[in-house]
Amino acid sequence: MPRSALVTMAASRRSVLRGMALGGLALGSGGLLAACGGDDGGGGSSGSGTTVKFGINEAKGSGPAYDRLAAMAAAYTKETDTKVDLNAVDHNTFQESVNTYLQGTPDDVFTWFAGFRMAQFAEAGLITDLSDVWPIDGMNDSFKEASTAPDGKQYFVPKDYYPWAVFYRKSIFEKNGWTAPETKDDLMSLMDDMQGKGITPFAFGDKQGWPAMGTFDILNMRLNGFDFHMSLMAGDEQWDGDEVKLVFETWKTLLPYHQEDPLGRNWEEAATSMGNGECGMYLLGTFVADAVADVADDLDFFTFPELDSSIGADALDAPIDGFCVAAGGQNQEAGKAMAKWLGSAAAADAANSGADVPFIAANSGASTSSYSALQKKSAEVVGAAANIAQFMDRDTNADFANTVMVPSIQDFLKNPDDIDGITSSIQEQAASIFG
Amino acid sequence: MSTETPVAAAATTAPPRQEGGVMSRNRGVIATVITAVLALLWLFPLFWAVLNSFRVYEYTQANGYLSFGGWTTDNYRQAWSQGNFGLHMRNSMLVTIPAVLLTLWLSSMVAFVLARFSFRFNLTMLGVFLAANLLPPQALLIPVFRMFREIPLPTFMSENGSMLNSFWALILVNTAFQLGFCTFVLSNYMKTLPHEIYESAELDGAGVWRQYWQLTMPLVRPALAALATLQFTWIYNEFFWATVLIQQGDKLPITSALNNLRGQFFTDTNLVAAGSVIVALPVLVVFFALQKQFVSGLTLGSTKG
Repeated sequence: MPRSALVTMAASRRSVLRGMALGGLALGSGGLLAACGGDDGGGGSSGSGTTVKFGINEAKGSGPAYDRLAAMAAAYTKETDTKVDLNAVDHNTFQESVNTYLQGTPDDVFTWFAGFRMAQFAEAGLITDLSDVWPIDGMNDSFKEASTAPDGKQYFVPKDYYPWAVFYRKSIFEKNGWTAPETKDDLMSLMDDMQGKGITPFAFGDKQGWPAMGTFDILNMRLNGFDFHMSLMAGDEQWDGDEVKLVFETWKTLLPYHQEDPLGRNWEEAATSMGNGECGMYLLGTFVADAVADVADDLDFFTFPELDSSIGADALDAPIDGFCVAAGGQNQEAGKAMAKWLGSAAAADAANSGADVPFIAANSGASTSSYSALQKKSAEVVGAAANIAQFMDRDTNADFANTVMVPSIQDFLKNPDDIDGITSSIQEQAASIFG
Repeated sequence: MSTETPVAAAATTAPPRQEGGVMSRNRGVIATVITAVLALLWLFPLFWAVLNSFRVYEYTQANGYLSFGGWTTDNYRQAWSQGNFGLHMRNSMLVTIPAVLLTLWLSSMVAFVLARFSFRFNLTMLGVFLAANLLPPQALLIPVFRMFREIPLPTFMSENGSMLNSFWALILVNTAFQLGFCTFVLSNYMKTLPHEIYESAELDGAGVWRQYWQLTMPLVRPALAALATLQFTWIYNEFFWATVLIQQGDKLPITSALNNLRGQFFTDTNLVAAGSVIVALPVLVVFFALQKQFVSGLTLGSTKG
């Protein structure tokens, strides 16, 4: 059908098209020549007059996240005289169509996530090897590791991150004389005390499917350790083994301390019930503050306490956002040069001074003066963590996370007694996805 | 429709008129009640969305959606500016209007040939046009995507020199997928035109082109109007192809741009409701302005005159 339509159209507008084809030939070859010239002359430092295309996963005007990226682009133009062509697409659309984007006509540099999501594209040859832009001043080893694909090369430049932790309202904890728990016993007695005072210990909502992944991640890291968690995510461990069953068993004993019927509640609603004091704590990312803006100043957090003293509590989820260079981009050298600059402290400072709300820069040289109290603490906590995971839907195959784990965890929350059935079903599907 | 038919049948077949009347009155009441309930069920989500689009998110979040209060019109203002709707509305029109015109023009030509001449392959041809309608467009996602990627366009038509990321791609895809339906409807409609007109036109020396342009087109104007209304709604509402073929944020049509109102984590549902109402408005305007054509469009070609 499209073919016949094309033919008909071409026939009916033959003369127009003939003109266009001729013009296109001239223009097309001109463009090619210009691109070659840019490559030769730019040679990495990207000379004046070059244009670099920058695809970002925030829609224009969507708030501070967009403002920060736009400020980075503007600062780059100012500093290097390279024109930046901004392509702003909203976060979810960008993420859902990233496959066609990278195989179609991608921009030179684009915003993306560290971890498995990055590694998948590296293996498919869709993103460019950036090992020659590393090391980057101010990026420590854990960030370098998060930027490295299984082939040992870096394909990613980190920009910022945010931790997942247990959030609570300072005033409520003070009023009741509660303190942040450090061991499992502390946690249990705190939760019992909360229940005794008519407060549900944990706010909980999993209508969207992904929030409960954070609970699974942290329980797995606390009970089985970071290394097991990562190899489980990579598909190298059994999902129906004793370790995963232990995670679900423990979760089952904790469920009575969570809000009931989590499948009917989205995270915003759960956050609200923590904000208004119905619930005492909420395990979520720092973005929880967006949903309870009126009490955001009263928020504080602690990392999830240790459950097994031989494993400790030094690992957490802290998804890292950053940049990749698309292999299909037209100007590789300019893309690489920009990616390197985007990882610098200057880029982070430009972003944070260009928006109302700063991000937590991955670069340790970036100024922290504009950070909120929560962000300063986040930076400390993540800096002190021995191991950083990226969150389940970034650490594992996206299809596995979305089509297997989302419904499986929801099944578990609906029917916590069927752990054997759920784990063996996950294992079956994992085997077919990871091969 | 289906509820009226038995009523009419009862009225004509039953000789004692009173009994038939009682029967039909009862059935009429039941039918009305059922239709009313169904209509309410169907309208409720729309009504709910419109209602909540006028409320502040903080208020509904704190008091729940069953509360009453927190009225505002800010959502509309914010949706328009944050969603950048002016730009995206323009994109939608740049795609929809040429696509509708092109579809009608091409399909009317095909329909004219199919209805006017009796070539051996006519039926097969109509079959081919209809068969394409049976295929879900999603099944063609990958071939169309790959094909468009390989089609070069001069840079003044598409900045990155490929069919992807250009309005041309959307216009072509929408035209191609709507062509089958339009051809079917128009050829059926054209078949109802009396053959004698063409015979006398031919006697007067009108060529095929003139028979098409000056004779047939004015006569099928009602059908074209009806189809234009339907096609406008469908192509304007099209979401799937735009998300796949357009990767540049400032080229997305308005239906896809509705996503601009969703955050990465946080979504202000009241704001999205306001945005949806804005996006739905052009379709509603078209529908109410051309309601007559719309309804006749649904039954077009179902009877032979």
